[in-house]
Amino acid sequence: MTIKEGYDLLGRNYEEVLYRLRNEERIAKYAIKFLDDTSFATLKDALSTGDIETAFRAAHTLKGVCQNLSFTKLYESSNAITEELRTLENKDVSEYLSRVEEDYNRVISAIRQMKEESGPLA
Amino acid sequence: MKDKILIVDDAELNRDILTEILEEEYTIIQAADGRTALSIMEKQVEELAAVLLDLMMPEVDGFQVLQVMQEKKWIEKLPVLIISGETAIKAEKKCFEYGVSDFIKKPFDNFLVKRRVSNVVNLFQYQNELEKKVEKQTETLRKQYRLLQMQAEKLHKSNENIVDILGTVVEYRNLESGEHIQRVKGFTEILAKELMKEYPEYGLTEQQIHTIVTASSLHDVGKIAIPDHILMKPGRLTKEEFEYMKSHTTRGSEIIAHIKDVWEEDYQKAGYEICRHHHERYDGKGYPDGLAGEDIPISAQIVSVADVYDALVSERVYKSAYSKDEAFHMIVTGECGVFSPKLLECFRNVRKEFEELADRQK
Repeated sequence: MTIKEGYDLLGRNYEEVLYRLRNEERIAKYAIKFLDDTSFATLKDALSTGDIETAFRAAHTLKGVCQNLSFTKLYESSNAITEELRTLENKDVSEYLSRVEEDYNRVISAIRQMKEESGPLA
Repeated sequence: MKDKILIVDDAELNRDILTEILEEEYTIIQAADGRTALSIMEKQVEELAAVLLDLMMPEVDGFQVLQVMQEKKWIEKLPVLIISGETAIKAEKKCFEYGVSDFIKKPFDNFLVKRRVSNVVNLFQYQNELEKKVEKQTETLRKQYRLLQMQAEKLHKSNENIVDILGTVVEYRNLESGEHIQRVKGFTEILAKELMKEYPEYGLTEQQIHTIVTASSLHDVGKIAIPDHILMKPGRLTKEEFEYMKSHTTRGSEIIAHIKDVWEEDYQKAGYEICRHHHERYDGKGYPDGLAGEDIPISAQIVSVADVYDALVSERVYKSAYSKDEAFHMIVTGECGVFSPKLLECFRNVRKEFEELADRQK
């Protein structure tokens, strides 16, 4: 699977990201780097311990990174949870979280697949 | 050498994307949090060309970084571009209040990032350069001003030197004792200061008084042109001899007028007035020009009282000394010629100071 096919799989916007970042190799590299990004794990952990402030910041970071990489769906769901958490009130966001988790897993598995298939590109 | 840019963001991916976009043109330094960013700035604020700053960071966040940059005035010379995904208008306004130069919105666009950064970097480099130029020019101006001041001081010194040289010539011929010259200076100063205090309408200033006092030592410089047999004659002068003697005023003023281009105008003017007019009297009966009232320059009026007083209390080849009481009364009653009523009032006011000076220098 090429990076473009990966993006197509995740729901469009490869042209947009290529236009912005100008270099296919770069985009693949960033996407693979995303595997090491800890903001989703931080978000999940913080919510389980009720640390709303950290959760908000992690969601915010996740949203920003997704925006840069044009992971559109994950951007939308992480943006939604960021806005829910912005007030820093303790409320039930489990539905938002599960949407984020679902999108996150799809992105991760697509990147892994791409990485395995393209090998030396990374 | 490439300019240095500091990228501050807690998300490594964001830092990496920006680094790859910018590293062709700039040397990139990364910081993962506000605290690290501040310690980097502390060390190399002078070398940085711009800071790309995220707002949302754990512990020390972007606003705290801006706060410190404002307090330390770094933000005046080092441009900051905000790279936060924060879209709230309130946050944006707050950033501008801190002095932020621009915003780079997510998602990052290769072209826009490069362009915004280079715009801001160039603008600030231009500004900083201009500021340095102005500073340099100001320093040059300051140097020139100091030089001018030094030259003014030198000139001032040279004025006093000329006066001293002339005074020494008079003394050397033993026409007047050095003490007489010094005492006249002292009396002149006391009287002039009282006059400045009591009659501001004369418009005397400290500087003018200093000039008058200095120039007062020249009052008899014309006597170097008077032959010894007249000058040193122990007895009464004949009418002709006295007429010749009187010419020391005009001769003195001519000497002063001939010394050109070496001293300041006000010294020359005061010297001229004092030499020529220190024997004028308020009722017009003095010499050489018979000036009356306030036509007599105030410098000469002051010195004439000082000169007469000292002549009275001193012993001369042709007379013995009067007592201080006698001298005082002779002046106020007009026995030695008429003086300005204002000047006489001042003279009365400072009688004690005159007497103390007369005692001290005997």
